[in-house]
Amino acid sequence: MSRQSLSALGPSDLANRAFAAVGRWFSLVAEHAGQIALLVWHMGVACVRLRVTRRDILRQLHIIGIQSIMIVLIAAALIGVVTSQQGGYQMQSQIPLYVMGSVVVESVILEMGPVLTAIVMIGRVGARITAELGTMKVSEQVDALESVGRDPIEVLAAPRVLAMIVSMPLLVSLANLVGITTGMISAQWTLGLGSETFFYGARLFWHSYDMFYSLMKALVFGAAIPVIAVHMGLRTTGGAEGVGRTTTHSVVFMTLTILVLDALFPPLFLN
Amino acid sequence: MSVSGNGSGAVIEYQNVYKAFDAPVLSGVTLSVERGEMFALFGPSGTGKSVLLKTTIALVTPDRGDVTVAGESVYFGGRDVLERIRRKVGYVFQYAALFDSLNVYENVEIGIPETILKGMSQKEVAHRAWEVLELVNLEPQQVLGMLPSELSGGMKKRVGIARAVAGHPEILLWDEPITGLDPVNTAAIERLIKQLSDELKVTSLLVTHDIEGGLDMCDRVAMLEGGHLRFCGSPEEFRMSSDPVVTAFGDRAAAQDALDTLEIS
Repeated sequence: MSRQSLSALGPSDLANRAFAAVGRWFSLVAEHAGQIALLVWHMGVACVRLRVTRRDILRQLHIIGIQSIMIVLIAAALIGVVTSQQGGYQMQSQIPLYVMGSVVVESVILEMGPVLTAIVMIGRVGARITAELGTMKVSEQVDALESVGRDPIEVLAAPRVLAMIVSMPLLVSLANLVGITTGMISAQWTLGLGSETFFYGARLFWHSYDMFYSLMKALVFGAAIPVIAVHMGLRTTGGAEGVGRTTTHSVVFMTLTILVLDALFPPLFLN
Repeated sequence: MSVSGNGSGAVIEYQNVYKAFDAPVLSGVTLSVERGEMFALFGPSGTGKSVLLKTTIALVTPDRGDVTVAGESVYFGGRDVLERIRRKVGYVFQYAALFDSLNVYENVEIGIPETILKGMSQKEVAHRAWEVLELVNLEPQQVLGMLPSELSGGMKKRVGIARAVAGHPEILLWDEPITGLDPVNTAAIERLIKQLSDELKVTSLLVTHDIEGGLDMCDRVAMLEGGHLRFCGSPEEFRMSSDPVVTAFGDRAAAQDALDTLEIS
């Protein structure tokens, strides 16, 4: 509608339109939420009934877990370096340098490791899953699976979600280890902070619970990413253009979900 | 217009099937296909032929109405009944819908129902795959290890047909099997459809744009128009129909066939 015709509308018309838009948004959110809940339920049933084959899970573990190690390690190494560098810059001659150890370790374990690994996995795995399943949907391969009596949730969805749930804590653990190591090396080179001093600072503020918190995040993110990716992939319509559109929406949806979940973690688990 | 044949009992029955997406696609279609017959479904594009075919095994769920296959309700019988129905049906997709990540052998293997597959040895599965690939006139030794991306359009269709017949179905559903093929491959696939239906003694429901091919091959034909069943009868009755819509559709399709032939030659 043009600006002129919009201005011709009265306040009650505008209010009606605003309510209608809000209603449509809520309806869409409810539709997605309902479909995701059904998908999760269906996958749970498939797992309990042992309908997911070991071969499919192992194949997905290779694609999702093993093939992601390198990119996750590179990202983690850079995170460690950046955290250390920026921390060092902010603390110059005001705070004892050994605090750097705590800053790097806590930042990497509580936040950077799980969140940035999740962001990398959204691009590396989430987008792939949506595009792959979306292409299968629009080219009738999902219909073909159903026509031969195979359940797409059991064959396509559950192995990917299970593989991601298993892979994410392992990848985040690796990312944490590499991030802390590169952070320590970086602090040594640029600030002259020895490893003993670095770990002295790290131990001062260390809680074992932090590692559990980090892995809990990894587990939740590891479930959220493939569930959204599968959900979006299986509702793809509209040919190649539809696959592109859905993949974009899926990446936005996954990223926002990870950031919202990340924001919910401290009030729920750190107080 | 009779929507049922005079043969040995209906094996597929569409009962007042309604389906709408953004607009109505099927508006109360009632139709039955007799056991052992070859039945062709014609109609202009977008008139709901493929949607009707997909409702047969619940790939698309109707908004209203029901479909029964071999006397069992697809939509009111529950999951077990649907699984049983799907085991009885082979579905040939418009563009073959082969699984990209699986080779020809695996694509054919997946067409064998899991319950049957569990009781078969690897050797028996390989023998079955070999057998059905030969049935669709492919050279098994040559194609078994190939990926769908390495196959021509005609070969993909044949592998799609092989997958559909691998489970020894009682019913074959063909969704525009000759779409996108040149006249040589079209004739070959049509011969294959006829040959398979005769040899395997299956009931065939064929959605096609090729009016002449459908009239030549099939025992009965029907025409959908605007979501309604416009015609149902024998090929002779279709040819002799005085319904202007049926006549116009038949003439237009014949003219298009002639144009296609001219363009090729």
